[in-house]
Amino acid sequence: MKRAKNLYSYYMIYPALLIYSIFFVIPAIAGFYYSFTDWRLDRLELQFIGWDNFKKIFSDKTLILALQNTAIFAIVTVVGKNVIGLLLAVGLNMRLRTKNLLRAIFYSPSILSILVISILFTPMLRTEGTINKLLEAVGLHSLSQAWLTNPSIVIWTIAIVSIWQSAGFQMAIYLAGLQSISQEYYEAATIDGASSWKSFFKITLPLLLPAININLMLTLIGGLKVFSEVYVMTGGGPGNASQVVGTIILRSFGEGNWGLGTAVNTLLFVVVTIIAIPLLIFMRRKEVTE
Amino acid sequence: MKNHKRKKAASIVLASLLSISLTACGSGGSDSGTAAGGDSKGSKVTLELAISKSSQDSAFIQQDILDEFEKQTNVRVNLQLIPAEQTTTVLQTKLAVDETPDIIQYNLASAVTDLNLERNFEILDNEPWASRIVNKDVLSAGGHLYSFHVSQDTGMQGVVYNKQIFEDLGLSIPTNYEEFLAICEKIKASGITPVFMPYKDAWAANIWPAAAFADFAAKNDPTFFDDLNSNKKKWSDIPEFKTFLEQQYEVYTKGYTNTDVLSDSYDMAVGKFLNKEVAMMFMGDWLIEGVAEQDPSMELGVFPIPSTQDASLGASPLGGQLFIPKKSKHLEEAKQFLDFIASKEVAQKIVDSKGYVSNFSDVTTPELPAYKQDIVDNYITPKKTVLTTDAYMLVDRSELYRLLQDQFAGGLSPEEVLKAWDEKFSQLMQDKGVAGF
Repeated sequence: MKRAKNLYSYYMIYPALLIYSIFFVIPAIAGFYYSFTDWRLDRLELQFIGWDNFKKIFSDKTLILALQNTAIFAIVTVVGKNVIGLLLAVGLNMRLRTKNLLRAIFYSPSILSILVISILFTPMLRTEGTINKLLEAVGLHSLSQAWLTNPSIVIWTIAIVSIWQSAGFQMAIYLAGLQSISQEYYEAATIDGASSWKSFFKITLPLLLPAININLMLTLIGGLKVFSEVYVMTGGGPGNASQVVGTIILRSFGEGNWGLGTAVNTLLFVVVTIIAIPLLIFMRRKEVTE
Repeated sequence: MKNHKRKKAASIVLASLLSISLTACGSGGSDSGTAAGGDSKGSKVTLELAISKSSQDSAFIQQDILDEFEKQTNVRVNLQLIPAEQTTTVLQTKLAVDETPDIIQYNLASAVTDLNLERNFEILDNEPWASRIVNKDVLSAGGHLYSFHVSQDTGMQGVVYNKQIFEDLGLSIPTNYEEFLAICEKIKASGITPVFMPYKDAWAANIWPAAAFADFAAKNDPTFFDDLNSNKKKWSDIPEFKTFLEQQYEVYTKGYTNTDVLSDSYDMAVGKFLNKEVAMMFMGDWLIEGVAEQDPSMELGVFPIPSTQDASLGASPLGGQLFIPKKSKHLEEAKQFLDFIASKEVAQKIVDSKGYVSNFSDVTTPELPAYKQDIVDNYITPKKTVLTTDAYMLVDRSELYRLLQDQFAGGLSPEEVLKAWDEKFSQLMQDKGVAGF
């Protein structure tokens, strides 16, 4: 009797599983297969070529550069979005009269599509654009830059735009986390004479770990999969200076190298999995329950 | 036991998934099969003409022309409009699975790289109209006539310039690089930016080299592109190519351009010319058309890229020619359609209504806009045009464009650009399976 009940509950997931399989699992497996072939439309017979595509990836300077850029982007945005998001959340969790307004203001960029943000920022980041004019107006001439056309800083610029857009979203998750922490802990800590720094590190941070985990995962996976902001702001340029894995996949498809493009995609999938899953397990262990 | 049962259930789900996906594919295939063949009832043949939605004002598919064709031959033409952004993919797929339309309208230069011209399309050298074609180059690739058009005039590439500014400053068209620099100096002194470089769009950086390289090869090394495509020569083997890249960069470093060349994009160009902020730009004559649409009183012209003494004007293979796939189901009727359009009356009608430069010896060119007439008189009639390098390249060219952009970002020297492109070029050729790579 009990067993039947259990099985019944499993049947319930089959429709979802079916859709998930058709649109995700099967293409993913197919993609895995195609990444070992020389798939091109101008050559109809697929040939199994083993690791050749992957060898090609690691012998192509542009692809290596793209992997580096993706790593830089992911690290910078994970740190930036979470630190700023957390600071905003802690600040706006206090009893400020304007806190609702400020929350709305900081959250608003993340409502817009990153495409829109990127299109808006592109002219502002020109050499003669608003950002540089602003810097000069406050006397910071030395900081004005060719933000999107200087190959050595372009990926950082894009990362900063991405942080600006998304930090408010991270803030919202942190705020939700902060508000689930009972005030009693802080009262107890105050009675024991703990400083506010101490209560932040000993109470807030540990109890906020579930929110931190979610944010780290979201920002890390988002960072590794970066595409839109680079595509709109620079298209991977100037030259190949801001290529990331996402734009390289697009490039490979444009060149007719469908097999290679799929291989890069598979590689991205593997990299994201290798980084994300151990991190998730590690962070889960650290979580405490109230 | 429980576990076993669950496994069994899961495998049933997987199996049914597979069968669903397989049948989905199968039925999809047969559906399109019947749709394509279903029209052929009785003796009346229906031609499928595939065309990008962005070309829907093409002269070849005007309803009155199609009606007239049907009346004369009892062959109907059915249009397949393909969404613009998917045209290439859809056509690639159709050709790959032998579900080919009977006629395709596409751009010749792109057809060479995207659609595997040689394998997929008929050579039209021996068609009845071929002998009347004036300028075979603009319809040819690899030495054969692959495409059809009644016009020969679009896609001229060189230096687009403002005639009024030249007249005001007493300048004449430069015939070599030194004269060009001198002209830039004078324009700059008058407070106008001599050259607008919108190299945020990497392709725009290719206008200068695409014409300069081709002009040099045509005059000094006529077999260069054959040798290049069989891996007997490389881009970096020609020292002058390096010089041409240096020239373009020098125009920038000497301060004759907009300051922000990597931030400015092509879509700003028309405005820059309308405001008379700039005097020249390395571009195609489509820019002139764009400016004229906004302000017909602006007088612009185009002269050859002044890389060497008396260079020829660059000609890109024009957009929107008709092609006949080898696997066309109605090959004869498709060729009949080209014959019909090529007939003196129909071709004349199209040339007149569109203001084209006629490409048939017996069809007269109507009165043209001034800049077009200039091109015809000074370059097309005396045969001073040269097909740009794009026409000879069998692979995707965007990496070359990015490398050129990199030169302006300060990342690569002209020599490194050519070396890097050699490497990428041979890799792309190898991927494509071209013999010799």
